[in-house]
Amino acid sequence: MSLAQEGKGDLELICPAGTPAALRAAVDAGAEAVYLGFRDETNARNFPGLNFSPAELETGLAYAHGRGCKVFVAINTFPRAGAPEAWRRAVDCAAELGVDAVILADIGLLDYAARHHPGLRLHLSVQASASNAEAIRFYHEAFGVKRVVLPRVLTVEDIAELNARIPVETEVFAFGGMCPMAEGRCLLSSYVTGKSPNITGVCSPASHVRYLERGTEMVSRLGEFTINVFQRSDAAGYPTLCKGRFVVGDRASYLFEAPTSLNVLPLLPELMAAGVSALKIEGRQRGRAYTAQVVAAFRAAVDACRRGEAMPEMSALDAITEGQSETSGAYRRAWR
Amino acid sequence: MVPPFSPILLGGFLLSALPSRLLQPLLRAIMGAVARRHPAMLERLGPYADTVFLIDPIDLPIRFLLRVDAQQPKLTIARGADAARAGAVVRGSLLALIDLLEGRVDGDALFFSRRLAIEGDTEAVVALRNAVDGEEIDIIDDILVHAGPLARPARSAVKRLIRLARRAGHDMALLQAALLQPVIERIESQTAETERLRQAMAGAAQFRGRRGAAPAATLLAGSE
Repeated sequence: MSLAQEGKGDLELICPAGTPAALRAAVDAGAEAVYLGFRDETNARNFPGLNFSPAELETGLAYAHGRGCKVFVAINTFPRAGAPEAWRRAVDCAAELGVDAVILADIGLLDYAARHHPGLRLHLSVQASASNAEAIRFYHEAFGVKRVVLPRVLTVEDIAELNARIPVETEVFAFGGMCPMAEGRCLLSSYVTGKSPNITGVCSPASHVRYLERGTEMVSRLGEFTINVFQRSDAAGYPTLCKGRFVVGDRASYLFEAPTSLNVLPLLPELMAAGVSALKIEGRQRGRAYTAQVVAAFRAAVDACRRGEAMPEMSALDAITEGQSETSGAYRRAWR
Repeated sequence: MVPPFSPILLGGFLLSALPSRLLQPLLRAIMGAVARRHPAMLERLGPYADTVFLIDPIDLPIRFLLRVDAQQPKLTIARGADAARAGAVVRGSLLALIDLLEGRVDGDALFFSRRLAIEGDTEAVVALRNAVDGEEIDIIDDILVHAGPLARPARSAVKRLIRLARRAGHDMALLQAALLQPVIERIESQTAETERLRQAMAGAAQFRGRRGAAPAATLLAGSE
């Protein structure tokens, strides 16, 4: 397989849209595609007040398509046992409205979509956690999957090697939430709250989160657990267990990951050379100001990369990162 | 949270002199205008119609209670005991809260940088943030939409006032930093000296311990 294959190395910019306003912000800032979800548990950002009704999707499609931007719909949670109807309805609705692709994780739902909507482009969600060539080839041969969103556990070298061995496009996370776990398989949130991104579409659901101001400290709690205690000068992070501070002996420290955001801007030339087809900006739960700012920054960077120019300075993104901190995650895997 | 040293903070002292019977009709008009122009926002907030939000601009002497019931949305001034009725609290500087309302800033970024604090029902606050962010609200336009021929000049004047407040706030923060810098440097120097002495004492205690003297803790306790 050569990198000259269509789509490989394009770095198509895939941007988050939690609301119709965020969709317009992403399109206006230069997104080549936006991804979004329906307002229910069929997508992995099932947050209160977020996401699209079918009518809003229809309007959003018209806005995006009118400006040359594609729309992908994430239906990427796993259907509850014995109750796949909501997920199938979501696939039917997306297909009928004419979306450009659906992003799926569950094998049964992939099979349903492939059989009932043979013309619908299928992307494999990161929630499927497909990280080797054999798994990805299976999804391609069995269901006709055209693109795989890679888990955030691979180095740039791993990705280049993978791209040489698979007949589908790869999409990688470029900016935003830095999930350090194997997506689709992480049960930390379930352990504490009974809800997880895998089934109900929420990690650390807001219904189980409490913040307490205690003098100069801010305490974040998830269910019965204290996740973190921030001093006044500390930047805060999300109340997820994987970014909690754990006390071992007498010392409190981050065991899995500190509050931080992924940012691959300096790696764009390497990712392009590795044959990556698309860059995914995380953050459907973020405000439209975040969407506009990050998409504009990546638009400029990708354009510079395509022209073979140096990456522009992007320090403005520091202020919107979790914990006011950035990482290149596993792409460089500096700890190994 | 510590309020920023800003013109809002200074102007707020004047606001506290105003009786609430003068402010309340204005708040009612603002809520009515927002509800009329953004019904989809209230529709998204349907499950939280009964939640009472306490909106607390930390640089103003007054706080507000908000109810997002689509039939009867309400924005009122919170008096002392009223605040206890709130199921959720949103706290930040007035300009930060306006920026959040109008989608100029990302709520999570404000939270990460500790310029926004929330308490109580987190789910209701997240829903409110998402619904508001999805609406492209321009609060001045919303209020002035029925002001007829006066709308345009009034809008321009208010926007200019807000711009001035922002610029003055920035200047005042610089001034505050300049005034405080010598004090901060002195405290940092004293902290460094204290740490140096602490380490020197710990080293001396260890040295004595090695020579068969009493344990360090005892020595340090005796030296107090």
